[in-house]
Amino acid sequence: MRPFSALTALCGLFLSTSSFVCADSTSSSSPVALPSDFKPAQVFKNTNLVRNTNLEKSYLRETINVVVENVAKQAQSDYYLALPSHLYDKVGVLEVRDKSAPEKSRLNVQATEIDPSRDLQYYIVHFSEPLPPSSQITLGISYSVLNSFSPRPAAIKQMDRQYLTYSFSAYAPSAYTTVTQKTKLKLPSTNVPEYTTTDLKSGADPERLGTSYTYGPYDTAQVAPGTSYPIVVRYEFTKPVITASLLERDLEVSHWGGNLATEERYWLRNNGSELLDHFSRVEWTLSSYQQLPSSSIRELKYPLKPGSVDPYFIDDIGNVSTSRYRPGKVPSRDASLELRPRFPIFGGWNYSFRVGWNNDLSTFLRRAVGSSDSYVLKVPFIEGPKASEGIQYEKVVVRVILPEGARNVRWEMLEKASSNGLPSSSQIQTDVSEHKTFMDTLGRTALSLTVNGLTDEARDSQIVVTYDYSLWDGLRKPVTITAGLFTVFVAAWAVGNLDVSIKKR
Amino acid sequence: MAESPLNVLLKGNTGRNTRGLLRIIILGTIAAAAVSSRLFSVIRFESIIHEFDPWFNFRATKYLVQHGFYSFWDWFDDRTWHPLGRVTGGTLYPGLMVTSGVIYHILRFLTIPVDIRNICVLLAPGFSGLTALAMYFLTCEMSTSPSAGLLAAAFMGIVPGYISRSVAGSYDNEAIAIFLLVFTFFLWIKAVKNGSIMWGALTALFYGYMVSAWGGYVFITNLIPLHVFVLLCMGRYSSRIYISYTTWYALGTLASMQIPFVGFLPIRNSDHMSALGIFGLLQLVAFADFVRGFIPGKHFQRLLTTMIIVVFGAAFVGLVVLTVSGVIAPWSGRFYSLWDTGYAKIHIPIIASVSEHQPTAWPAFFFDLNFLIWLFPAGVYMCFRDLKDEHVFVIIYSVLASYFAGVMVRLMLTLTPIVCVAAALALSTILDTYVLASPGPNPKAKAVEDTSSEPLRSARKPDVGVTSYLSKLVVTSSAIIYLLLFVAHCTWVTSNAYSSPSVVLASRMPDGSQHIIDDYREAYYWLRQNTPHNAKVMSWWDYGYQIGGMADRPTLVDNNTWNNTHIATVGKAMSSREEVSYPILRQHDVDYVLVVFGGLLGYSGDDINKFLWMVRIAEGIWPDEVKERDFFTARGEYRVDDQATPTMRNSLMYKMSYYNYHTMFQGGQAVDRVRGAKLPAEGPQLSTLEEAFTSENWIIRIYKVKDLDNLNRDHSNAVAFDRGHKRKRATKKKGPRVLRTE
Repeated sequence: MRPFSALTALCGLFLSTSSFVCADSTSSSSPVALPSDFKPAQVFKNTNLVRNTNLEKSYLRETINVVVENVAKQAQSDYYLALPSHLYDKVGVLEVRDKSAPEKSRLNVQATEIDPSRDLQYYIVHFSEPLPPSSQITLGISYSVLNSFSPRPAAIKQMDRQYLTYSFSAYAPSAYTTVTQKTKLKLPSTNVPEYTTTDLKSGADPERLGTSYTYGPYDTAQVAPGTSYPIVVRYEFTKPVITASLLERDLEVSHWGGNLATEERYWLRNNGSELLDHFSRVEWTLSSYQQLPSSSIRELKYPLKPGSVDPYFIDDIGNVSTSRYRPGKVPSRDASLELRPRFPIFGGWNYSFRVGWNNDLSTFLRRAVGSSDSYVLKVPFIEGPKASEGIQYEKVVVRVILPEGARNVRWEMLEKASSNGLPSSSQIQTDVSEHKTFMDTLGRTALSLTVNGLTDEARDSQIVVTYDYSLWDGLRKPVTITAGLFTVFVAAWAVGNLDVSIKKR
Repeated sequence: MAESPLNVLLKGNTGRNTRGLLRIIILGTIAAAAVSSRLFSVIRFESIIHEFDPWFNFRATKYLVQHGFYSFWDWFDDRTWHPLGRVTGGTLYPGLMVTSGVIYHILRFLTIPVDIRNICVLLAPGFSGLTALAMYFLTCEMSTSPSAGLLAAAFMGIVPGYISRSVAGSYDNEAIAIFLLVFTFFLWIKAVKNGSIMWGALTALFYGYMVSAWGGYVFITNLIPLHVFVLLCMGRYSSRIYISYTTWYALGTLASMQIPFVGFLPIRNSDHMSALGIFGLLQLVAFADFVRGFIPGKHFQRLLTTMIIVVFGAAFVGLVVLTVSGVIAPWSGRFYSLWDTGYAKIHIPIIASVSEHQPTAWPAFFFDLNFLIWLFPAGVYMCFRDLKDEHVFVIIYSVLASYFAGVMVRLMLTLTPIVCVAAALALSTILDTYVLASPGPNPKAKAVEDTSSEPLRSARKPDVGVTSYLSKLVVTSSAIIYLLLFVAHCTWVTSNAYSSPSVVLASRMPDGSQHIIDDYREAYYWLRQNTPHNAKVMSWWDYGYQIGGMADRPTLVDNNTWNNTHIATVGKAMSSREEVSYPILRQHDVDYVLVVFGGLLGYSGDDINKFLWMVRIAEGIWPDEVKERDFFTARGEYRVDDQATPTMRNSLMYKMSYYNYHTMFQGGQAVDRVRGAKLPAEGPQLSTLEEAFTSENWIIRIYKVKDLDNLNRDHSNAVAFDRGHKRKRATKKKGPRVLRTE
């Protein structure tokens, strides 16, 4: 917090009046365009690559640890990270860390423009300092890919089990030659009716141990980069594939009320297998009576911060009466909001709704050190329901609505040492606008942050917003209303004194 | 001690101010009570639009707010009455929507972010507060006693007869119309009393607002001319009446013709002819009055008689000719049903099928008006005592409204205001007589000290009758008890009878906590989320507005029952066999069929109970194909169990209601809890529809209409084939009958 407040003070020196946003890190700008026949220069060699693919959730979570060696004559600072085209625009949050220096924060990653003519699309990883020739660096690359599984069969009966397939290449996509590599698959269940076996190495491939399947290690020094060897896994996943095509989250700060109001609007969809026949209430009653697993969304459990009050759960046509709220214990235990949609959401079905609640502002807002007019707000970036099967968000718009007259807005995402699915500042589009409500004259300063592709891993992330807000800003509204009412009374008095009668006096 | 400051407060100029302040406070409290007693449903359930018609008004208001006034005016709605559509902008009374739209825009201008739904929900309670004020003004015109107005306002604020149509969420035309009705009458009385153009013009203005808000404006259109006519017959012609009536008629008619739905009706429809006739008559009377000043009496008599005969003869012949030639529309069917309560049942089943069009049962008067109903005749009698122009109005209004309220449950609403006026007149007379007849609480002891009330003291010499302490005590305390009982009754009725949204049903869990049965919204929301935006939904017309409002899907018929044939088509599809219904469904592009079934829960307002009306309405158009008699057993019973007639069991409605229902129960124990019938062990088979969704308590069942068969087979054949294919040996004994193809 301390370096941050120093930064705050520094910024405060330069920026006094206008609303302004600056992200803390030197964020890279828009995607760079690469020529269509672009091939990265073979300046690196992946000495060893281990890929951990996690299929336990409804989205793909992949971690690649790769030892990279500089084989060129000069020091190199840009590493091209390749991904197949069909995954590239579905990648959620991608982050690259230097494993050999874990205390260092994530490396700067720059996206490139998609060129449909290429098989591989690239990210450019900028090393924090150029890698000298023939020395090595260990990169930890982690990312999630949304909508990467497809249900097979695409339509099932209501009580049937649901299976998902995932197809990938045995060779990890790379722009550079890889010497050895292996892929570990972590599956959600032992029920795996189909998986590809290969003869790329001696012995059984994959090696199976419980729910983990290991492809490799392969010796791929002779394999050209970009070669693929298709592998398909089909496994049971009798859980919903919860996808929010859009999440709008509003955090409204009220200094007068001492209140932080949160409202979230979800557009949910279940991307699992669709129903072969139509929905049968009889079967549903039976299966919910017997507590059978189902590929439909029956209930969403939403843990709220301790001290959350007045929760509501409504949709376009009113209150959803099936929700339940258990208030937590301040300050330790989370409150729990149990949301039951109006109907079970089967594969291909949609459900949109909104939830909201209030919190005491004092637990989130603090005066900045050394400045009486500057405030620091620390709030969760996203919260969202907690589900063992995971939730993927295709687009998230977080809007922090600050009090009327708040200036000099700056924000920062709080980093953690390990990867937690947080977007880096460069992946967030920022916009500051005016939001007029509740008898505002100027309009409130609204900071909106838009992210494409996020998963519920980012639940624990925090965002810190600092802004300046003076006493006069707080008094503006009461003064305006008083003046307005006074004007009305004076006008009424003046009109009442007018003589408009046509009688003779 | 406290007497001298109290005296200062209650006497003289300050006293008048104090009383004025008190009156304002009391009226404010009455308005607050009126608003808050209507909030039961918001507190118990939520801020939600109730019942059926309000959903359309709500949808129209949303359209107005989103698209602006001009496109609302020109709104052609292709999402109702598929495939006909509805010229909504020209076939509704826009007053209600425009009122909420204006409130919405004012609040938006003040940047107060109020949802349009909340404005719509709270509009009726808000206007009921205004109605109480208008009632105060109206009654104050009738009586010199200051308490009459306050009593009438209090009555109007909480009387169940008005609350029934104005609880929070019942966003219907009546919500603002009753206020406009009362206020227009107040302005009319004011105009008649003062003979002023200003009051007449204000009457016309509010009459125009009323016309834009509710079809019941016809009541004003006929009542005011009747008032004038009676006054003329009583020989009370004066320039005041001439000025106020002609101002009102000319301006009011022009104003009413601005509403597209009304258009030229005021000069072409029989319902409006009396106003025009009285307008003409008034000119003649005025002319006669003018002529009388110049001609001696005897000649005048002769002139008058000939003039009356000639003019009336010409007017009558003209009216008949115009009516026969079709320039003037004859009386509408709804109007006839006002005179003959059996008319609708025979000729227009669609009007008779609406519960609020039924004749009123006599307990309803007491239920809706409580002790006001027996104060009402007393109040009317009071009006006879000093028969001024405004009292004549009360008498006419009472007589007419009493009759109409007896004919139709719905018109209890128009009776309520005048009952409040009359009852308040009666009660205030009683109270004034008994309370004000004495200057102090203990007249005998204090009489000597009090010098200011000399004449009264002499009148009070005999200590019996009205002035006795005992009779005062008895009368005032019994009046107070009646008033308290009235308040208790109103609260009870409002809470128990009139505060259910009917979209949401409440029940109790075993532990006493409230459990909400939300099947309607569950199914509507499913439709809204998981069907194509243009999927046509067929249902009985009761649910048309709700589907349009909550599910946002096109419907075939809805509560705006303007096209009887189209409704009959739906009725025919519901009451015929599948082979007959399927072509109808295909021809109307129906994708989903929605039925309401209460058998599992014991919810009696379901489609099987309404089924006979569908049959009757269909029979009205296709008497050869649909016959009501076929749905009754030989013994004349309406049954759904294994005794049900084949027509009943083969009808689409029956099949859709009970399809798969028996699988919920073990071993043929299926029971219909509404009709208390044990159902056949073998459920009905559907071949042209498939079950798409059933809500949690089975109240709403949605079926998808199958597309044509890929192999060009008949649907029943295709289903039979599928079934036979699955169970090769089992179903040989009783395969489904092969049904006749088209």
